[in-house]
Amino acid sequence: MSAALLETRGLGRRFGGLQAVSDVSFSVPAGQVLGVIGPNGAGKSTFINLVTGHIKPTTGKVLIDGKDMTGARPWAIAHAGVARTFQIVKPFRGMTVRENVAVGVLYGPSDQNRMSTALTRADEVLEEVGIAHLGARPPGELSVADARRLEFAKALSLNPKLLLLDEVMAGLRHSEIEPSLELIRSLKERGLAVIVVEHVMKAILAVSDQVLVFHQGEVLTSGDSRTVLSDPRVIEAYLGQRYAKRREGGGDA
Amino acid sequence: MARDQVNSFLQATVYGLLQGGLLALIAVGFSLVWGVMNVVNLAHGAFVILGAYVGWELNTKLGWDPFLAMFVAAAVLFVLGYVLQRWLINLVINGPIFITLLLTFGLDLLIVQGMNIAFSGNYRSIHTSYASTGLDLGSIRVPVGRLLAFGVAVLLTIALVLLVTRTRIGTSIMATGMDRGAARLMGIRARHVYALTFGIAAALAAVAGTMVGTVGTFNPASAGAYTLLSFVIAVLGGLGNMYGALVGGLVIGLVEAWAGLYLPGTWVNALAFLVLVLVLIVRPSGLVGRAYYAARVEV
Amino acid sequence: MPGVTAAETERDEPSAAAPPGESRWRRYVPWGLGILLLLAMLGLQSQLYVGQERTVSAIFMFVALAQGWNLIGGFTGYACFGQVVFFGLGGYTTAVAMTHWGMNFWPMLLISGVVAALFGALIGLPLLRLKGHYFAIATLGVAEGMREVVTNLTDLTGGGSGITIPTVGEEATTTYLGNDGFYLLFLGLAAFSVLVGGLVSRNKFGFALRAINQDEEAAGSMGINTTRAKVAAFSLSGFVTGLVGATYAFQQAVIFPERLFDVDITVLMVVMVVIGGSGTVLGPLLGAVVLQFLSEYLRQNFTSAHTFILGAIIIVAVVLLPQGAVNYVREARRTGNYSLLANVRRYRL
Repeated sequence: MSAALLETRGLGRRFGGLQAVSDVSFSVPAGQVLGVIGPNGAGKSTFINLVTGHIKPTTGKVLIDGKDMTGARPWAIAHAGVARTFQIVKPFRGMTVRENVAVGVLYGPSDQNRMSTALTRADEVLEEVGIAHLGARPPGELSVADARRLEFAKALSLNPKLLLLDEVMAGLRHSEIEPSLELIRSLKERGLAVIVVEHVMKAILAVSDQVLVFHQGEVLTSGDSRTVLSDPRVIEAYLGQRYAKRREGGGDA
Repeated sequence: MARDQVNSFLQATVYGLLQGGLLALIAVGFSLVWGVMNVVNLAHGAFVILGAYVGWELNTKLGWDPFLAMFVAAAVLFVLGYVLQRWLINLVINGPIFITLLLTFGLDLLIVQGMNIAFSGNYRSIHTSYASTGLDLGSIRVPVGRLLAFGVAVLLTIALVLLVTRTRIGTSIMATGMDRGAARLMGIRARHVYALTFGIAAALAAVAGTMVGTVGTFNPASAGAYTLLSFVIAVLGGLGNMYGALVGGLVIGLVEAWAGLYLPGTWVNALAFLVLVLVLIVRPSGLVGRAYYAARVEV
Repeated sequence: MPGVTAAETERDEPSAAAPPGESRWRRYVPWGLGILLLLAMLGLQSQLYVGQERTVSAIFMFVALAQGWNLIGGFTGYACFGQVVFFGLGGYTTAVAMTHWGMNFWPMLLISGVVAALFGALIGLPLLRLKGHYFAIATLGVAEGMREVVTNLTDLTGGGSGITIPTVGEEATTTYLGNDGFYLLFLGLAAFSVLVGGLVSRNKFGFALRAINQDEEAAGSMGINTTRAKVAAFSLSGFVTGLVGATYAFQQAVIFPERLFDVDITVLMVVMVVIGGSGTVLGPLLGAVVLQFLSEYLRQNFTSAHTFILGAIIIVAVVLLPQGAVNYVREARRTGNYSLLANVRRYRL
């Protein structure tokens, strides 16, 4: 069995009477992109929060690089090499874009101590996501697409082995989606594992090696993208007949 | 021997319940304001005492019975509260919380010192012919004044609950408390609703103040203690939770009465604070509030 | 058009985001000015009458208190409304040790600070999990509770009647410093607190605190151990406040729980920081000076109504300059918009 960067076993979380996530077991090896889809309320975001330590699981385990990190705090998870973006972007509003990214360099695994070095490294990361020219601006002035890139950059500043992207494509124009896909591809080539939670099927199809479908807190099915997206159960629960017909008709919408 | 002890215990319990009801009335407005607008009104105790003074003025100058004067006190404080919220507190309400805290602290200073200047620091009370007479249930003495005050407190709390759940105004208050943005999108005028809420809270405090004046003594310096008690009760009961405030008030009333029996005087206060801190740590949603997806205002 | 409302942005001290050459100049100027100010205050002493000297000492005391509060309330954004507990704890530790155990003041000064810091770490662990109003009130509850506890431990602390530190005669363990000595000591504490504030503001730790202030969840995701940072900030602020309390106790010689744990002291600290500009180093300094002056002036000229006027001033200041003077000036210079009216609209509903 190839060393999985992330593995969950029977992961579950209950909120009072509601079982938000139930019995989720899967693994992601290095250099793979896992797409996660499912209707709203299916538990996708809760699942991410369980992995990144923002919520404690009520059952199950989370293993990162073979090490049991169940219930570890978010900073420990970050130091273990896991980074995430937030669905609603959370920049540090009183700092410049560059300083936002520098936080991760200073406090992440690279544990840099010199401010100037951190800022230089931040510039490199900003270059990678394509917003180096916005380094001195406050995050409040960024457009939606650029703000998403800042979230991306903040995650990358942690030099992660595993990246969790929570709906980074939402609300982007087609022209804005392609650069993000390129970025994900290049990260995959570098050996990162990436988990992409999305509603934009075009993106899922374009980059995923495997796809996981969530439904009512459980994993409905998993497999390679084409198989999963043609699965009648998935169509029933999430995609809808119209989408299925469109796909049958040709082209991937 | 044992009989005396049982008697003292029962007497303390009765006293605690009666006091607790009054404390609940004092705290319920504070809790409402905190729950709906996330404003902690440090001048709340000052409103209580101000209401007491209005009642006292009417009583000494015009001979009004406090249970009549309380309506006037409520009206006066309602207007004051509305104005203060609408044209002062609303100015800073979107900022970090300590801004609002400071504002209400400044108000507290203003009002308390204003009362000191206007009425002097002497202890006052509102006299009636009947308040200190007692009903005797067996060997337990129930002061009439306190019983009436308790009745008023419970009635008003129920009235508040009905207002909030059954009327259009009440619904707009709850809605604004749960999601101000959504409420405004649906045509609710948030500035006005906030002002109404604050006005109602002030009116309730005023009535409570008149009751306080009837069953005991007061002066401007008593304001602070009532604000602090309101904190404790609001937290115990869960913010914005009306019945919770009632429960919280009764609990504190009982705890203070029982503690007064068995502990030397000043440890009682320390106990109250310990309870407060523990509740905040262990169950910040209060004894009665719901733990997870709790709305900010609830019945 | 995208853009967040100014209301959400809390402008803090600029960190070294400028290119190295420029920042060296900008970095050292504040330190230089600080040293000049310190020397000026030293020189001032010989020019003052006794009464004035005591007033200025009080200003220094509040500068230190404000700077201490700013560490947890301003930088980290956790508005502690029980800060006076450190003041009282420091004061009583010194008083009890000097009176009952014959300790000398100077080691007790340091020990009191440490005791306060340890207490901060102890209560910080559970309390810093709370947010906003809950944290404010929980800390207030702790302070009030501590006052009651001290009042009740009559054998140790003298309870409500207070404790008197022997300052003359055989029992006195340390020579009383007198007005001149306390002026210097408070000045030293003020300078120390400004130094601590300045250092924290400009280094990696302060950066973490600011990140926590602006978005605690994101800060955690980016590797900041938020629990450790918050507790450290709280402890440090407790240390500074405790030192001041110890000094105050020695100066007053006769101390009571109502005074050493007076909630008004906390509120004054908060008002000074907020009006001056929270999250900056200059802000608390300015706020303390201005407010103390004002308070003294009012006390002397309007004895009966001075609290009333103070309340009115607080209200006006909070409404006009909610972000504080220093932040207001910085933003105005950056955006070119000096309108106070626009500033009032910043946080309104």
